[in-house]
Amino acid sequence: MKYTEKKNITGAEALLSSLINQGVKTVFGYPGGSITPVYDRLQDYPELRHLLTRHEQGAVHAAQGYARVSNRTGVCMATSGPGATNLLTGIADAMLDSTPVVCIAAQVPSTALGTDFFQEADMINMTVPITKWNYQITRFDEIVPTLAKAFYIAASGRPGPVYIEVTKDALLERGDYKWEPCTGIRSYNPVPAVDADAVQEALTLINDAERPLILVGNGVKISGAEEAVIRLAEAGNIPVAATLMGLSCIPSGHPLNIGMVGMHGNVAGNRMTQEADLLVAIGMRFSDRVTGNLNTYAPKAKVIHIEIDPVEIDKNVRTDLAIVADAREAVEAILGAGAIIRKSRAEWFEAAERYAAEERERVIDRQLRPERDTLTMGETVAAVARQTAGEAVIVTDVGQHQMMAARYSAYKHTRSLITSGGLGTMGYGLPAAIGAKVALDEEATAREGRPARGREVVVFLGDGGFQMTMQELGTMLHWGIPVKVVVLNNSFLGMVRQWQQLFMGKRYNATELVNPDFVKIAEAYGIPAQRITRREELGEAVETLLKTEGPCFIEVIVGKEDNVFPMVPGGASLDDLLYSE
Amino acid sequence: MAPIKNTDTTVREYIITVFTENQVGVLGRITSIFTRRKINIESLKVSETPVKGISMFTIHAFTTEDMACRILSGIERIIEVLRADKYRTDEFTAQQIALYKVSPELFRKGGDACLREHNARVIEINPAYVVLERTGAKEEIDALRDYLSGSGMLMQFTHSENIVLHDASVENALNEIAGRGSYLGD
Ligand SMILES: Cc1ncc(C[n+]2csc(CCOP(=O)(O)OP(=O)(O)O)c2C)c(N)n1
Repeated sequence: MKYTEKKNITGAEALLSSLINQGVKTVFGYPGGSITPVYDRLQDYPELRHLLTRHEQGAVHAAQGYARVSNRTGVCMATSGPGATNLLTGIADAMLDSTPVVCIAAQVPSTALGTDFFQEADMINMTVPITKWNYQITRFDEIVPTLAKAFYIAASGRPGPVYIEVTKDALLERGDYKWEPCTGIRSYNPVPAVDADAVQEALTLINDAERPLILVGNGVKISGAEEAVIRLAEAGNIPVAATLMGLSCIPSGHPLNIGMVGMHGNVAGNRMTQEADLLVAIGMRFSDRVTGNLNTYAPKAKVIHIEIDPVEIDKNVRTDLAIVADAREAVEAILGAGAIIRKSRAEWFEAAERYAAEERERVIDRQLRPERDTLTMGETVAAVARQTAGEAVIVTDVGQHQMMAARYSAYKHTRSLITSGGLGTMGYGLPAAIGAKVALDEEATAREGRPARGREVVVFLGDGGFQMTMQELGTMLHWGIPVKVVVLNNSFLGMVRQWQQLFMGKRYNATELVNPDFVKIAEAYGIPAQRITRREELGEAVETLLKTEGPCFIEVIVGKEDNVFPMVPGGASLDDLLYSE
Repeated sequence: MAPIKNTDTTVREYIITVFTENQVGVLGRITSIFTRRKINIESLKVSETPVKGISMFTIHAFTTEDMACRILSGIERIIEVLRADKYRTDEFTAQQIALYKVSPELFRKGGDACLREHNARVIEINPAYVVLERTGAKEEIDALRDYLSGSGMLMQFTHSENIVLHDASVENALNEIAGRGSYLGD
């Protein structure tokens, strides 16, 4: 907290002072007419780093990547009208993936509201269904309380995006600034207390179970429940599976980790869901991508649902016991409520092993040791995993490469997979990777007290999704952000092509891409780049990618019509896994 | 054992009451929870409660129990919402008040019997028209309307929304939040 009181400053300065008081170090943004008062003053606040992106969508995704990797609120800024509407996709994405971001936009002068003024767009109404909270500031006096509230709401409870807009006249209005943090809102109870009776009941259910399965989601990362979950799993000798959003919260190598559940999840995770007598779902929301057909989902299981957002309870599956609370607090309460009986569960773990072996044989080996010259996505991802020893943060775009990156990466640390889960937003990957790298380097610098580099960030992109936000290479160039980019090029909108092949009789339409020379594009941005077509080149290329000081780019030509397996077709039962075409 | 939800598809009438901070935008957030699920709001009343700064919404809609639950928890999630409750009108006595402006001819065609049969009373009478009033369930209100319009005597008709006896009071809402920190005085 740096600026307690300031006399006679503008709204723009008040806004910037509040950002600094909130602990914001980096803002991703893009200027324009209405927001010029903020940009004008920004230069007077060197402690606030503004990173100019190449599109407002890039700014919001960067703020999301920043938040997802660090659990700190990401901030982005845009001008009114088109600048603000360009934020919408990212805001919607952050809403579905519970990502704390504060999006600030300017608005036309309050006297002009509703007149179709130049660059006026009714963002408040547009953002109602995709924000946790939004607010239009029209007076200087509203700035301090609203900004404080925005950050409080974005990060507390189930996090989410907050959209704040400030009319231009409010940005120019002068007043005296007095900082006051937000410590609570009477109509909002973000962290419901853990119900002790429910905890006792959970303990009983867990101790009674013979074939329990813990399912972890993004909520585990948000609440920092990783360690508690591992203790619970180890105490009861209970296997753990993750949703796509939950991946990496348990290290890949942990003996109780059985991988991922859902549409492209691991065989063990999905089959064992169907055989489990108890699901302990922690910080996840039983999305359709996780459950498949609800009528056949987990037919033998009782369900304990630990979830902070009451909206999610009984939304898709009927829970036997709900604990509406912070995941870490709830799991710690269970651990503290009595002894957890450790059972050997020999058959249960044999099943896990059998399913893993089946998957290795029928799916994984074909990816990692293909009997053909053309490279696969899986072996590329695995090469990165090997050479980074699971230390890197993996970011993905959306499509086949996303599922391959999720499946074949190794994770040593939590929050190491950053991907658009709920909205499935193509174009998310590159800017999110930029934001993640900025946050990691910022943390390393703070830790070491001198400019320092944090963990490596490797982003996997499809040739389609890359082209949705590839102008953000300019952001990497401009700010020297050392993201490592891997484009997995199949010359197709691969995931859609896969569906056309499997479910529409191979009637390919609008999925084949005529692509530019990606290597030349990267090079044009001053980023060292190479194209890999042969297996012999892969290892060295990944090595170069990782050891290059600054940003680096490789394009890997992979099989044009390869598919992601195993797969639970949309709406099908988890019992009906496909292993191949 | 299987965690399949019981999805009763019967559509019923619900009344949802919501106590909120009186702030711009809350109405939009509440209606968006209905409209995104393509649920029509049959009637909506917003007014300030006896407690300054706290508004009460009364919303009628037809939907299923499952959807009503989702809507309710969606509403509860709105930052400014203090408390929300839902009631099924078929579980409570729901009454409407209706006014019927009819031709004075009514009394030449056995109006007294009609009044008795429909439990209506005359509240205004003059050479040009007569105004009847009745209180009752929606079906009863509609029955009188149909009778009057069928006989060509109905000139105008208006009715209130359903009024239901429920325990949603601003005191309950305030009790709910007592002890929570206040911020911004809102
Ligand atoms: C913004 C957006 N538009 C469309 C889609 C639908 N979609 C999902 S995956 C996909 C194909 C992605 O192709 P590519 O980026 O080449 O990745 P690949 O699947 O080949 O790995 C499409 C079009 C989407 N998810 N997001």
